Amino acid sequence: MAHSPELLKGTLQTIILKILKDHGKTYGYEITHRVKELSAGSILLTEGALYPTLHRLEAEGLVKTEKVLMGKRVRKYYLLTPEGKSEAKDRVAEFVDFIKTMSTVLQVNIA
Amino acid sequence: MTLNNNHIDYIIKDLHYRGIVAEGIETELIDHICCATEEKIKCGKNFIEAYHETLKSFGHTAGLQQTQKKVILIDNSKPKNMIKNYLTVAFRNLRKQGFYSVINIAGLAVGIAACLIIMLFVLDELSYDKYNEKADRIYRVNNEIKFNGNHLKMAVTPAPLGQIFLHDYPEIESTVRFRNHGSYMVKRAEGTDNIKEQHVMWVDSTFFKIFSVKVLEGNADKALTQPASVAISKRAAEKYFPNRNALGQSLTFDNKLTAKVTAVYENIPETSHFHFDFLLPFFGNDWPGKEAQMANLLSNNFHTYLLLKKGTDAKALEKKFPDFVMKHVAPQIGSVFGNDFSMEKFLAAGNKFELTLTPLLDIHLKSNLQIEVEPNGSITYIYLFSIVALFILAIACVNFMNLSTARSANRAKEVGVRKVLGSLRTNLIGQFLTESTLITLFSFVLAIGLAYLVLPFFNSVAQKHLFIPFGNGVFYFTLLGTAIFIGILAGVYPSFFLSAFKPALVLKGQLAKGMKSGFIRSSLVVFQFVISIFLIIGAITVNRQLNFIQNKNLGFEKNQIITVHDAYALQSNLQSFKKEVLKINSIESGTISGFLPVENSDSWRNDNTFWKEGNQPTAENLVGMQNWNVDYDYLKTLGMKIKLGRGFSNEFPSDSSAVILNEAVAAHFGFDNPIGKKISTFNNDLPNGAPDPNSIKSWTVIGIIENFHFSSMKESIKGLGLFLGKSDGSVSFRFNTSNAQETIQSIEKVWKQLAPSQPFQYSFLNEDFGKMYDAEQRLGKIFGAFATLAIIIACLGLFALTAFTAEQRTKEIGIRKVMGASVSSIVFLLSKEFGKLIVVAFIIAVPLAWYAVDWWLKGYTFKTEIGVMVYVFAGLFCLLIAWITMGYQSIRAAISDPVKSLRSE
Repeated sequence: MAHSPELLKGTLQTIILKILKDHGKTYGYEITHRVKELSAGSILLTEGALYPTLHRLEAEGLVKTEKVLMGKRVRKYYLLTPEGKSEAKDRVAEFVDFIKTMSTVLQVNIA
Repeated sequence: MTLNNNHIDYIIKDLHYRGIVAEGIETELIDHICCATEEKIKCGKNFIEAYHETLKSFGHTAGLQQTQKKVILIDNSKPKNMIKNYLTVAFRNLRKQGFYSVINIAGLAVGIAACLIIMLFVLDELSYDKYNEKADRIYRVNNEIKFNGNHLKMAVTPAPLGQIFLHDYPEIESTVRFRNHGSYMVKRAEGTDNIKEQHVMWVDSTFFKIFSVKVLEGNADKALTQPASVAISKRAAEKYFPNRNALGQSLTFDNKLTAKVTAVYENIPETSHFHFDFLLPFFGNDWPGKEAQMANLLSNNFHTYLLLKKGTDAKALEKKFPDFVMKHVAPQIGSVFGNDFSMEKFLAAGNKFELTLTPLLDIHLKSNLQIEVEPNGSITYIYLFSIVALFILAIACVNFMNLSTARSANRAKEVGVRKVLGSLRTNLIGQFLTESTLITLFSFVLAIGLAYLVLPFFNSVAQKHLFIPFGNGVFYFTLLGTAIFIGILAGVYPSFFLSAFKPALVLKGQLAKGMKSGFIRSSLVVFQFVISIFLIIGAITVNRQLNFIQNKNLGFEKNQIITVHDAYALQSNLQSFKKEVLKINSIESGTISGFLPVENSDSWRNDNTFWKEGNQPTAENLVGMQNWNVDYDYLKTLGMKIKLGRGFSNEFPSDSSAVILNEAVAAHFGFDNPIGKKISTFNNDLPNGAPDPNSIKSWTVIGIIENFHFSSMKESIKGLGLFLGKSDGSVSFRFNTSNAQETIQSIEKVWKQLAPSQPFQYSFLNEDFGKMYDAEQRLGKIFGAFATLAIIIACLGLFALTAFTAEQRTKEIGIRKVMGASVSSIVFLLSKEFGKLIVVAFIIAVPLAWYAVDWWLKGYTFKTEIGVMVYVFAGLFCLLIAWITMGYQSIRAAISDPVKSLRSE
């Protein structure tokens, strides 16, 4: 079952930062692909959400880009800056904390 | 499988077609879509199916464009991109509006260059004497004496003043005196050839303690403590002792005083109010040495400087000086006038003997007393030039503002579209400010180049050695700061004005009409022309006054007279020199006298007080006047006119005790018929330098000469008496040939025979006269240049404005022509609008200019009349120039073919 986009909205940056952290240099399509794989298809990262988020992260200085010419195509790789790396760590920790809080608020037990 | 090139081309084209073009997102999306398509082809779809499915996941064209828009918004909020964007658009606009950009940049560059040069000049003037570490504690003493119609405000004081001050006032740390004794003939003691030196000064040994002049060789403390010693500047050392050590060598002054060099000091900076090359200590039997020891408080020949102790209040010290005058000066005046003299009565009669202080740093710009060490600058001109420079800059900025707002009609649509697309007002303001800053930056670069080219001319006019400090980081920093500041200043009005447009109204086309006649724009044009007219009137006034001075009947004939200076170098050959020169064909007559009717360092001056013979000299009946020693041929050679009586003649041996008065002083003595009457004066000084009341000599008046100008036209003609006597300062000859060069050579030949190894120095009297008005000539030239600049920049703006109006009204003109309007009526129509503004500017400028002219001419006792015609001329001239400027554009618009302008809609 695919999750509602409303739920995804706040976690998009965290997901992308984490993938970039684990994976190093990655390009846009690869990120969607990886998210799909990791979530076993239940999170579909739309391109309309992905690219604005990547560009925002770049504007905030958390990621930087490298362009590689591939025949007629140009591939743009994203990778974390040093600030991005620590930010990724913080965001994940923050999110874990959030889930813990949510589990108490919603009175459910998360495995 | 991977996509082949055809597929990729297809995708690129299709995405372009769908409107995905933004740099930064386009390539990324292409790659993404390619990857996704490949993935789907792997699953067995064909290319077209796979591609469309991929597009679907984006949400087709709408989704793609949405994504693109979001990315653009994010990218644009990055400061780097924002500025890049502004710059790109700004460059495009500048290129598109080439004509207006060139006018803007050129106008601003000229304005900035003028401003830059003036700033360099002003900074240089303001830095005078700042090299002195103790500058804030150094003060010069001035003496103001008012007595019997003589009013002297002098930068000099009596010789013993400094010592008495030092003794009486503990707040004074040290004092130093300068005594200027004119120019000297200087040579190496073992050498033969004399060189004339202007910068020779007698000083106290404390000189180096008070002024921060670095001693390079020798001991600063002991250098000036021995008789027959001299401290010289590095410049002088290199001149007289090239390639060897000057220390311990000897120099001879005026062929009699030989002094050993005890110190070589760093050249005194140009920004100093004195530039001495030779410092002689007060010792020995030479006059200044002797004079320095005298106790006379009534003769003023010494510049006195005080170094105050730290924390001393100079104003409080100044308040103690009247007591000093009572205690020390009053008894000396009393001894001249006899016993019934009292200082209280003397002062009550309106007389004055007042000592004041001038801070060292104020001397160059604020002190303009009699007998300054060197001519000083003037703070008034500093203010004046600064204001004028700012005005020129303002005129250039106004051009920019006017053109931007005038063209706003054209840009209104751009603003409308931008706003509809979601541009914020701050973005627009940012955009317009970037444009104006870019223009100023270009202008600054151009301006530095211009200033670099023009500076040598300015230096020669202003007699300065200014340079652009290319190696100075602060200079660039300041320039950059100023450029941005001016860019923002000039851009702020247009940017707020333009960005305030309501998109709906603009796109409907309503606002564009209202832009044609802006009140602010008209006021700015008026402002430009007020300044231009004002400067033109200023330039004409200064030049008229100069002309007046040059052509005024001076009371003597200044043309065709050559003066040979330093005649004393001829020693006993003086008379034979005159005789030999008179043998030259072109020489009409000659006279030996150092007293010449021009004011410069080579002409001598001497004054004294006289009274009617038979009276007792009292404070009330003394008459002060110049007394000049001349010879028999003086009046004839210089062309003064005798009004009554006769000139000196060797037929009357009694003429040795005769005097010729000028009209100005004859009236003071109150004779009914002055010829044959006698006047008396003190003949001898007491050993302390004060006049001896028991030694009186009388002179018989034999003639009255018409008043002639012997000092600046700023002053009235003072009293003067001519006496027969020796005065070996110079010899002047009247010649009657147009070939002056040949005459000079002949005179020089005689000089070389009679005074070998002495420098031959000459000048023409009319040139010396012209030099008295150097400051005015400089002012005239600078004003002229500024006025020209102002009008050029203003007209540049007007030119562009007219071009713009004509462009705006192309259709209107076309229709008018079709309806039968003549070319001349259209030209009139187009130039009427701005013509009116110039008339308004004229009306505003005239009272301002009248006030300024009146103020400036007040400084002259003898002055020209600035009639109504000058003002009318300036106004008409401005109007004419403006009309020519506008005419070109107007005529071009008026003769254009109406078919062309009307057909293209």
